[in-house]
Amino acid sequence: MIEISGLRHQVLSVPSLALEEGDTAVIGPNGSGKSTLLSLLAGLSLPAEGKIMVDGRPPRQVEVGWVSEFPDQSLLFTRVYDEIASPSRFAHLPCAEVTRRVEEAAALVGIEYLLPRTFRELSGGERGLVALATALSSGPELLVLDEFDSHLDAETAGTVAKALETSPCRYCVRCTQEMETAAGADTVLYLAHGAVKHAGTPDQIFPTLKETCFYPNSWRMREHAGRL
Amino acid sequence: MQVACESLTFTRGEFTLSCTGIFGPGLHLVTGRVGSGKTTLALLLADLLHPSSGRVCLEGVERVTLSFQNPEYHVTGATVRAEAASYGADPDAVADAVGLSGRLDDDPFALSRGELKRLHLASLLSMSYDLLVLDEPFSSLDCVQKHRLCRALEERGGGITVIFTHERQILPAVDHLWEVEGGTVRDLGAVPGAIPHWRHAPPYLKQALARGLAPHNITLKDIIEAEAACKTHD
Repeated sequence: MIEISGLRHQVLSVPSLALEEGDTAVIGPNGSGKSTLLSLLAGLSLPAEGKIMVDGRPPRQVEVGWVSEFPDQSLLFTRVYDEIASPSRFAHLPCAEVTRRVEEAAALVGIEYLLPRTFRELSGGERGLVALATALSSGPELLVLDEFDSHLDAETAGTVAKALETSPCRYCVRCTQEMETAAGADTVLYLAHGAVKHAGTPDQIFPTLKETCFYPNSWRMREHAGRL
Repeated sequence: MQVACESLTFTRGEFTLSCTGIFGPGLHLVTGRVGSGKTTLALLLADLLHPSSGRVCLEGVERVTLSFQNPEYHVTGATVRAEAASYGADPDAVADAVGLSGRLDDDPFALSRGELKRLHLASLLSMSYDLLVLDEPFSSLDCVQKHRLCRALEERGGGITVIFTHERQILPAVDHLWEVEGGTVRDLGAVPGAIPHWRHAPPYLKQALARGLAPHNITLKDIIEAEAACKTHD
């Protein structure tokens, strides 16, 4: 379980929150604190006050995979292969193991064909896929995805969803503006003005957002079809 | 006024993009899979890449601009106020319109990504252009801002607007559809005739077509209207 208590950091204030294993979707307006929450969960920043525990450990003691919306800002190497290999090489794993992990992660995300390429040749969406493969290569317990789906087409998003299902990581926390994606998560958090306004399953959360555009289109269509 | 792509090709390594077609006045929507060549076409239209062969011929088009998918690539000002002013926009009006009035003296990089995208788009759209090319304008925006952007694009008077996007939920009513597949740009034609041929249509639209509906345009509202109209005629 991920447990948050007495958390205050920049705009964000979360007195108490517990997340079960599985997929958590974080939704809410721009500037509501979604990315701030994600960077704290990933251990990229330390909270000004309060604490976050993942199975009893702070995030920096947990194997975390993190992907941002603009991987250009976090990538280190020129070649795709080197980028995906970087977590394994930084961990001083034997060469054969590095190769195995790179190939496995690339196959999982379906980007073997990108391995010999350089970042300059890749599109925005492809860079996101490389960042995801890099994050998955270390076998993270916690995967944190910061709106990385906003540059993916529907088919690629489907491939990614399958890759995430087969990956063994216990927690996946992602923020998204795609409500159809959020509707498929185990848990949904709705943030506004730095606070968690609603937390629960999609069936619990979305009815409270019915009067807003955060209500999934497919749910609206279903109900509309039902009424006619 | 038009932008004509005449036997246009662009080659980088093993990838080649090719396009022949005319972008006339109105709203054009270009879709395609990741890596299919959408951004390459956007850069070619905005004259930021030079074609390997063929040409992009502008007729009656003087003011051209491009919105990059990464809003931070546009930042030149040290404050939100200076940033909006750098587009020639009125910073107070822009900030007011996108709910950033309290942030005028902040560093643009202190904004969240979605807020920065909003600031960028509102600054850009406050000016007028003959050709406006938008690469992933909906990314990072929340649904309230996506609807806002759709209205702003629909209300843009005159000019040619070309939108490259993966957005699948909130889209503006458009005039023309295009698809990019494996480096080939296909002109699907004018809406509504083009709609049944649109392979990247969002799920709500595909479902509506499968139910035999004939919406006038591509927005969710058009589907609901088509559904109601079909019911009335039963």
